[in-house]
Amino acid sequence: ATLCFQAFLQMCNLPIRVICRANAEYMSPSGKLPFIHVGNQVVSELGPIVQFVKAKGHSLSDGLDEVQKAEMKAYMELVNNMLLTAELYLQWCDDVTVEEITHPRYGSPYPWPLNRILSYQKQWEVRRKMKAIGWAGKTLEQVLEDVDQCCHALSQRLGTQPYFFNKQPTELDALVFGHLFTILTTQLITDELSEKVKNYSNLTAFCRRIEQQYFEGHERDSSAMAARSSKRSLLR
Amino acid sequence: MAAPMELSCWGGDWGLPSLHPESLTVMAYAKFSGAPLTVNTINKSWRTPKGDLPVLVSEDIVISQPAKILNFLRKQKYNADYDLSAKQGADTLAYIALLEEKLLPALLHTFWIEAENYCRVTKPWFASRIAFPLSLYLPGKMSREALNRIMLTKGGPPLYSLTEVEAQIYRDAKECLNLLSKRLGTSQFFFGDTPTTLDAFVFGFLAPIYKVCFPRVHLQEHLKQLPNLCRFCDDILTSYFRLTVSGHSPAGQDTADANLQKLTQLVNKESNLIEKMDDNLRKSPQHPPRKLTTLKLAAGGEESSPMSRLSP
Repeated sequence: ATLCFQAFLQMCNLPIRVICRANAEYMSPSGKLPFIHVGNQVVSELGPIVQFVKAKGHSLSDGLDEVQKAEMKAYMELVNNMLLTAELYLQWCDDVTVEEITHPRYGSPYPWPLNRILSYQKQWEVRRKMKAIGWAGKTLEQVLEDVDQCCHALSQRLGTQPYFFNKQPTELDALVFGHLFTILTTQLITDELSEKVKNYSNLTAFCRRIEQQYFEGHERDSSAMAARSSKRSLLR
Repeated sequence: MAAPMELSCWGGDWGLPSLHPESLTVMAYAKFSGAPLTVNTINKSWRTPKGDLPVLVSEDIVISQPAKILNFLRKQKYNADYDLSAKQGADTLAYIALLEEKLLPALLHTFWIEAENYCRVTKPWFASRIAFPLSLYLPGKMSREALNRIMLTKGGPPLYSLTEVEAQIYRDAKECLNLLSKRLGTSQFFFGDTPTTLDAFVFGFLAPIYKVCFPRVHLQEHLKQLPNLCRFCDDILTSYFRLTVSGHSPAGQDTADANLQKLTQLVNKESNLIEKMDDNLRKSPQHPPRKLTTLKLAAGGEESSPMSRLSP
């Protein structure tokens, strides 16, 4: 999710500095990461940040007409609905991944036993949410199928264009880039999730293009990226 | 392809074939794609519902969620999306996600959580269709599940209390309705002249908001300000679902219409019985007003209750 914001802010040509902190969740006004700190204002979550940036005079979707704006919002919901939930599922509901990767990573800033307690608490919260929306009964294969369907839809929508709404990047491009890049570069137990995305060559090309255009040459970003554990670079 | 398919779902009222959005979606899709479904609405004489309606049973296969049921129908060659391009198929998925994220919470809230609506309309209606003693338990359970879903998906910080969450979900729902209206524009259906999966989903979500007569109706009022969406719902109801007693069924699905006819006859018989009971109850001094409303609403689906609106 951090990447979505970075991409979005880079696309708006706004300079940013990325800082990693262990208590970041508590500093954020809504408890959700990431958040931006501008002057004496703190804003979190994609929606409010987009509006905040818009109020300051920068907007990526001004060139769209009403129907296109409706489409963009619909696709953003699709990404949130499918990809984000699938990522959460994989991180917290797939037992193998939870044991080997998520628990150690989530609990790493804290001493024992706090690390175990906090990660179990988070896991319980996420599982409760999955149950409420009906994802608890899904197997890993079904989740991967859903991700595949979502990627298929995104791939169809992107087609051969450079961005989702032709020549200019919009919030949707930032969001999709953030999620797909995370999926493609985070190391998990199995590579099935990233394989699903790699099946769609226009999506990987899209990610590469945005990475090259907006992230290359920003050295400070690479140190932030290195701070995220188990990352490997996007395939060249 | 010839295997008989039975759909069990919640019944309808106020001019709708079903009150339940998911049941309505599946019924609409079946009509659009020409699938011969036998529709069994839940009433007291049926086996108690598990709460996971709608359910499609075909030979030995039991399928329970709308998306899976639609997939099954497509595999049986009842495909309403045949003429769509790949991009339109992708748009369908995106808009369905929009509906589920933005509109569904407000719909659930209007039906199951808003206190006046729940106590005066939803609970009595559903309780009257479930056999005792499950009728005491199941509506409460559905209400708790709805609340759970809303609070877990929308109720994260900084929205801690239910009132703040309510304000947010209604704002989202109104925005969603506006977006749908802009997307529909002046065309008859979302992708041209023939209805597709997206039309089924939109109809399933919009029609209950549009038609059901609740005491608290600000979402319905907002919807009525978007005439193209209202026209969309009315068109589908008149062209694909003919619910008047004397109406002739449109081409196809004779069994479904025969069932509907039987249901209407049953309802008429019940309404005669209910009128008799009504007279008896009027003489009783302790009769709570809530029951009167239920009886009147259940009588043939006509809006005779003083608090309900006339249907457009």
